[in-house]
Amino acid sequence: MAVIKLVADYEVEPCIGCKLCDIVCPSGAIRMEERKPQIDDALCIGCGRCVDRCPEDIMWMKERDDKLIVTVTADEVPGEAVDALLLKAGIDPAISVCVCTLTSASEIARSVIKGATTLEEVCAMTGMRSGCGIYCVAPALRLLEAAGRDMTPPGQHRWYPSTLSLYDLSDEVRAKYPDAFIDEDRAVFDPDHKYGPLPKENV
Amino acid sequence: MSIQAALKPPAFMHSEYGPPLQPHVSETLGSLISVPLTDFFPDFAAPIATGAADRLEAELERVRAETRASLAKVDMSKITVDDTVNILASEHGFGLMGGWPYAEMIKTIREVVIERTCCRKINLRLAIYRGFREADEVAEHFGFNEAFEGRVKGLGPFDQGVEVQTAIGPMYLIKRAFDGTKFIHAYYDDPREMYFNRLLYKSFKSFCMSYARYETRSVYHSMFGNRSGSIIPRALFDSDFIQSRYTFSSVLCTTPMGVTGVDATTDLYAIDRRITRSHLSTYGRMQRLFAEIKDCVAIWDGGRWGYYLHGGGLIFGTLLTNHSDAFDLDQPVVAGFMQSPTAPVNFSRNKNLRGVVVNQAWVGAGIPYVTMPFTTPMYIVGEEQAQLWRDDPTNPMLMDRAKVVDTLEQGIAMACEKGETDKLLVFDGSYGHLTCSRSLADHLLARAPGVDRQVRETLLPKWLAQRGLG
Repeated sequence: MAVIKLVADYEVEPCIGCKLCDIVCPSGAIRMEERKPQIDDALCIGCGRCVDRCPEDIMWMKERDDKLIVTVTADEVPGEAVDALLLKAGIDPAISVCVCTLTSASEIARSVIKGATTLEEVCAMTGMRSGCGIYCVAPALRLLEAAGRDMTPPGQHRWYPSTLSLYDLSDEVRAKYPDAFIDEDRAVFDPDHKYGPLPKENV
Repeated sequence: MSIQAALKPPAFMHSEYGPPLQPHVSETLGSLISVPLTDFFPDFAAPIATGAADRLEAELERVRAETRASLAKVDMSKITVDDTVNILASEHGFGLMGGWPYAEMIKTIREVVIERTCCRKINLRLAIYRGFREADEVAEHFGFNEAFEGRVKGLGPFDQGVEVQTAIGPMYLIKRAFDGTKFIHAYYDDPREMYFNRLLYKSFKSFCMSYARYETRSVYHSMFGNRSGSIIPRALFDSDFIQSRYTFSSVLCTTPMGVTGVDATTDLYAIDRRITRSHLSTYGRMQRLFAEIKDCVAIWDGGRWGYYLHGGGLIFGTLLTNHSDAFDLDQPVVAGFMQSPTAPVNFSRNKNLRGVVVNQAWVGAGIPYVTMPFTTPMYIVGEEQAQLWRDDPTNPMLMDRAKVVDTLEQGIAMACEKGETDKLLVFDGSYGHLTCSRSLADHLLARAPGVDRQVRETLLPKWLAQRGLG
């Protein structure tokens, strides 16, 4: 769950329509229309990345009239489906995928089960990436891939389909890097040997 | 030099991302002292630079000379006059001792490459993290625009990527970092987050962080353990994409005393082995000395993120996580986003850290401290600085727990009372000495001989053997 206090805004006239705000927006809240950004307040998760990226320095964050709470709760989707998705992806349900909002892997999985088809939709539904925007990305992409979502990267450079995990490495790779603690870390993070490479049949 | 009144730390670059500059703790708290690290470990070698303002010019002259001497032995035959060469720099280097030694090494690399190869298309690519405007700040502050005749650009994790095939699968680097025909890895060796990188192939880390898109950074931090994550930067470095563009590395070498020299060669693996040996001995002793602190309050007083502010050459994060020996590879996880179901850890398990007083530091934005105030009381000095934290989406819950105080003295008094300690340790960017309270200095001076013995006789042989360096 994330409590979003801020929302992006900008000064229309001096905007040069460079589209950078759109490209760096993690939740799909900004879309260009007639070379001007249109900000969907309901989707903005308040990260401020558009403000920082704007080359003309004409964007800012403002206080929301009412805080926006974004979350997908456990009672919204079947728990068995969430557990199965996490198991397939090889991600422990209890970890905080987003270390800024402390959003759990379970909640990210719930957003995918609920219907999120893209990284942007996961972010808009959970508030993930409203902080650093970085460390949560690969687990979320892996959950989307495990659910069979289309992993074709979107236009520009919004994200790239990077989902590699400890459980994907082949024997050949382990032989090439014998001092990389692959087997040792597998034993630590998956002591019950539940996880394996992500099945590719759905992708 | 022996114990003396608190020394002023190196001046740091002001940033639009940081709070207004405040007087340093060392200037305002008369009770603090600075203890030379050689009082703890007498065999620590004297540095060539610490960033001290009163001798900066002379220090930079020595850095320049060391860089030239080291580069003189480097094979630069991969660079031709027709090449476009990117010097890749990482932002943390500009937080080391005020950043000037690293900047000087970078400028000198350019000069020498031009002299040796006649190639004049030398670009500087500044890998930054905090914000998109940070690279411009760095370029201006350190005079890079003039030194590189305008051939300077920043790059960050959100910039356009390039797919790179590696032995472990496709990874994504930042296109602009590699938009020349060749590149030079211009690095520093601060062990920095030793609780993440475990000093396992640390010299390669930039390839999966500074030079990489956020997806690759996420894989490194969130999809692997502390130890196994070391495969990612190596796989990238070993890739055809990198090897076809790589020319050589030049690394600013440090110990907790300061800059000790420059190590340049084409063989990054060799540099890494040398650095690892040195660090386990020097930073290893300081890390274990910090582990002897049984109660203290930390003060953030610098121009970077709190985690990465130095005190005695070690970043604050080392104190935060020294519930475990970060260099002991038998310890599977010290801190990390990937959690063991049988032994979960977080960043703030060191119960000996009784509080943090923030005199000045960058707010989180990009660096999460979310759980820290849950276990470690935080005191933010001044309403203006507190508002920056309130508006920081990276730490949305921090100000629910942290307290705002009017003055530094008030924050320290409250932290010490709550933490039941009179021991203070300052993280203000200093190398070569610890700025702290007299009570903490006395405690550490009493413990240092034992730490020295323990590391030399027991830990260092073990750490080296774990890395194949025994």
